[in-house]
Amino acid sequence: MATFINFKALVQLLLLPCLLLCSSIAYNSSSVKATMHTNNWAVLVCTSRFWFNYRHMANTLSLYRTVKRLGIPDERIILMLADDMACNTRNKYPAQVFNNENHRLNLYGDNVEVDYRGYEVTVENFLRVLTGRHETAVPRSKRLLSDEGSHILLYMTGHGGDEFLKFQDSEELQSHDLADAVKQMKEKHRFKELLIMVDTCQAATLFNQLQSPGVLAIGSSMKGENSYSHHLDSDVGVSVVDRFTYYTLAFFERLNIYDNASLSSLFSSYNPSTLMSTAYYRRDLYQRRLEEVPVTNFFGSVMETIHTDAAYKALSRKISDRSESQISLDQSIHREERRMLININVCDEIHDVSTEGQEDDSKCPWSAFYRKMQKIENVDSLVNYGLVAMLPFLVFSTWLFH
Amino acid sequence: MLANQHVLEGNRLVNDLTSSNLKSSETGIESQRIIARYMLDLGAEASIHKFHRQLNHFHPLHFFSSPDSGIIEENYSCSSYGINTVGIIRAPRGDGKEAIVLVTPYNALKSGLGEALSIGIAYSVFSLLSQVTWLAKDIIWLVADSRYGEYAAVSAWLRDYQTPKFSSLSTLDAEMCPDIDNLYDLKVNSITGSKFSSSFKRAGTMAAALVLKVRNKSDQFEDTISIYAEASNGQMPNLDLINVVNYLAVHRQGLHVKVEKLWSLLNSSWLKILGEIFESLGKVAKSLNPKWKFGITATEYVEGTATLASSLYYQALGLPTGPHGAFRDYQIDAITLEILPKFSSDKVRHSDILLRGGRLIEGVIRSVNNLLEKFHQSFFLYLLTSPSKFVSVGVYMIAFALLIAPLPIVAASLYVDASSLGNCSKSDKSTPSASLDTDEHSITIGSWMWLNSAKLVFLVHLWGAIVSLIPYVICQIPDCTPTTSFMIWVLLSMLSFLTLYSVLASPLSCAKASQEKEWALVKSVTISSVFIGLGLMSVINFATAEIGALLMVPMCLLARPLKLDVRAGTLRSFSRMIGNLVLGLIAFPPAAFFLLKGMLDGFGSVNVGAFWIWVESLWAWNSATYLFIGMVHLPCWVLCIHILLHTC
Repeated sequence: MATFINFKALVQLLLLPCLLLCSSIAYNSSSVKATMHTNNWAVLVCTSRFWFNYRHMANTLSLYRTVKRLGIPDERIILMLADDMACNTRNKYPAQVFNNENHRLNLYGDNVEVDYRGYEVTVENFLRVLTGRHETAVPRSKRLLSDEGSHILLYMTGHGGDEFLKFQDSEELQSHDLADAVKQMKEKHRFKELLIMVDTCQAATLFNQLQSPGVLAIGSSMKGENSYSHHLDSDVGVSVVDRFTYYTLAFFERLNIYDNASLSSLFSSYNPSTLMSTAYYRRDLYQRRLEEVPVTNFFGSVMETIHTDAAYKALSRKISDRSESQISLDQSIHREERRMLININVCDEIHDVSTEGQEDDSKCPWSAFYRKMQKIENVDSLVNYGLVAMLPFLVFSTWLFH
Repeated sequence: MLANQHVLEGNRLVNDLTSSNLKSSETGIESQRIIARYMLDLGAEASIHKFHRQLNHFHPLHFFSSPDSGIIEENYSCSSYGINTVGIIRAPRGDGKEAIVLVTPYNALKSGLGEALSIGIAYSVFSLLSQVTWLAKDIIWLVADSRYGEYAAVSAWLRDYQTPKFSSLSTLDAEMCPDIDNLYDLKVNSITGSKFSSSFKRAGTMAAALVLKVRNKSDQFEDTISIYAEASNGQMPNLDLINVVNYLAVHRQGLHVKVEKLWSLLNSSWLKILGEIFESLGKVAKSLNPKWKFGITATEYVEGTATLASSLYYQALGLPTGPHGAFRDYQIDAITLEILPKFSSDKVRHSDILLRGGRLIEGVIRSVNNLLEKFHQSFFLYLLTSPSKFVSVGVYMIAFALLIAPLPIVAASLYVDASSLGNCSKSDKSTPSASLDTDEHSITIGSWMWLNSAKLVFLVHLWGAIVSLIPYVICQIPDCTPTTSFMIWVLLSMLSFLTLYSVLASPLSCAKASQEKEWALVKSVTISSVFIGLGLMSVINFATAEIGALLMVPMCLLARPLKLDVRAGTLRSFSRMIGNLVLGLIAFPPAAFFLLKGMLDGFGSVNVGAFWIWVESLWAWNSATYLFIGMVHLPCWVLCIHILLHTC
């Protein structure tokens, strides 16, 4: 009986370091992912109905085309169009939408996937998309399935005012609603960085309530300013594009997926005299320097590439290496854990050099055991464990010298 | 965009119409047939609409009531039919809930080239619209048979459009009149796919309507478009409709746009001087602060004033200035566009008119088509000072309010004076030993004295109402010339006045005691009633109230017994007397009418019957101006004359 208990304790003793090691590795790897930019999403919203708001749909479709061209796949773009101008009876070119009077580019050509259309575009649905609180029946294609590694571009256009944006001529999205949704997204680790771009009158006021870190916001006009349309297409009979979007598109037309233009160059491309309003960007919630962030981080799907010699095996270690500096920025991670992580990394390398071809899980159990032993502060239990450890030694020596 | 091919088609129709006009000019049925065939060829729905000529009869119970088809009398013969031709293009992708109406008045019996051209323009636009993809509203083209007047045809069609009939009256009518059966041949001959029907065809609610006319004989130096907008009771279409037409005509088609002006004002020297004063004032203001830009040149000022006066005049008349007025009765925005081509005789000009006029109409129709709602963003209450400028209700009401503001103040002061003076004179006469209760009695009598005056004023207004009703009796007399009708009216009015005075007003003579101040009380009550009347009228038809106030306010304020002025004998009282007499003459409604008419058209054309004719037209359009004259203006004038002739 006594031997059985002893044996159990022995097994525990042996398993303990392994378990601790495993859990620590798991935790570290998840925190590493949160700080990495791994995917891109875009939510493009046109909030206004009616024929005379043709330009808002054209704005949104233009942005849709641009982000698609720069590499965000269709399944990662949530496109919300509040009205269907292409099929409006007043449209001289049925099933076509243009954003320029030269009519060279049909924005509503093939492969346009509209996720939310017509009266589906409501404040409720918009907030549901952002926060991910859908009913179970909503298909995956209509959900924003982003994670903590996502860069999200949120583009909105429509008619707005002081701290609100009109939806469908009947509802309003207030700046508080937007800020609340963004905060929920942050809490739920639904994004790493979020770029909110709004083309509406007094767009800057919509960002007033934002307080979540990692959010960058650009608006087409300051408080008290209107955002104007760029030009009228006398053939279609309405204005076809807004100024802010027009010049944004003009900026992106020069770029391709390999360009390194930074966000600051985008922001400085807005000229208040041609825009007839002052573009506003709020950057106090955003940590990175805008000069160092390529626009394709948001408008395309370009991430930093990590070179690996072999698949899978070396990847995790490389990530761990690189993550050190990023972790130092991250305040939420415990200092001790970080130190341990560094130790593990160091140990990793040593181990790598000395013994190759071993299992990753048991790379340096003894050093980890030593650390765990250090951490155990309860002296009594240490003494007990020590006594228990003495027991097999005693049995062994008795048997040896018998 | 309207292209040459559409213009060619329009030209073809113009030629056909003008040649058919030579062929058979008895019934005009031939031209209707041609127009209907052309409509069918475009793939539009064509139908004919028969209507009866309606005579103007004043009926007090039908005043202000909407015209309804139930009151058509049965004793019409086939000869008094008018035939409208209606073509409808259904919007290919539209929901069919709304429609835009294009009206071309056309008299098949004696049509000139101008009417044929207007049909040509409408047809070229129609042929374009039958091909375009952007229609969201149905297009209705009404060729209104204007043999009984343009307005009658349009209003008859609108009445039938708005009040669905469920009887089989129309088929009976068709059987009765063989002429119209000829049109049904079209059904057999027509190309496949197009629909001709004899039944009434409808599209959706009307968003807006355009009446198109071409005046052939004009002496313009450039192609001009004249806009007529006034409907009954001074109602105007939404200003945006005028703005759209003006913008497209001026900036797209390079046409000159004008609205009616009072030409006599253009040459008046006092207006020019006033304009120059304003111009110099504007310059001074600009030198003080360059941001102040209310400077206006003298010529601009004169033209603006002439246009404003004409706008005020036509609104005050309460008569529509064209067939568009019929639409306003159903709250549809409508204007009449009259194209005045540059004077020339060659054939090429026709195509040019067709092209430019057609493009203008196309632009306006497309603008209305693109709207989601009826016009509502702009003003309904305004006076035009030029095709692109206006005075809105917020501005012109200030002037009116300032004009009538003295009335209640003067009425109150007169009343206070009269009652206090009356009491004073009483207490002077009474001996100190007089008992207290008689004093109190006199005070109560004094404070209720105004009731006598109120009774008088009420009776005069009652008489005014009776005078307004007399024409109903006169209408029953057959074969009356306007002059005799007017004479009978005047005689009956005077008779009723005397009867009323002798029967009801005789108790007035009992109150001799307070005679000396009675006129002041009568004046006070008169002024109050005039104030109420003008205030009410300004809501119904501002222009009438404004012109009425210009006449009545000075008359009411100046009115003072002539005897008193004669007795006073000073220069001031003498000039006041002269003023009173002149105003008393001018403010008599028929006199004011003749004076205005003479000033506008020259005194040669003025005869007594003209007033009767004008009054008849007021009934026809249920103009509130008629009620205003009968119930406010005339009683006020009578009361003022009563005050002038008062025996003090």
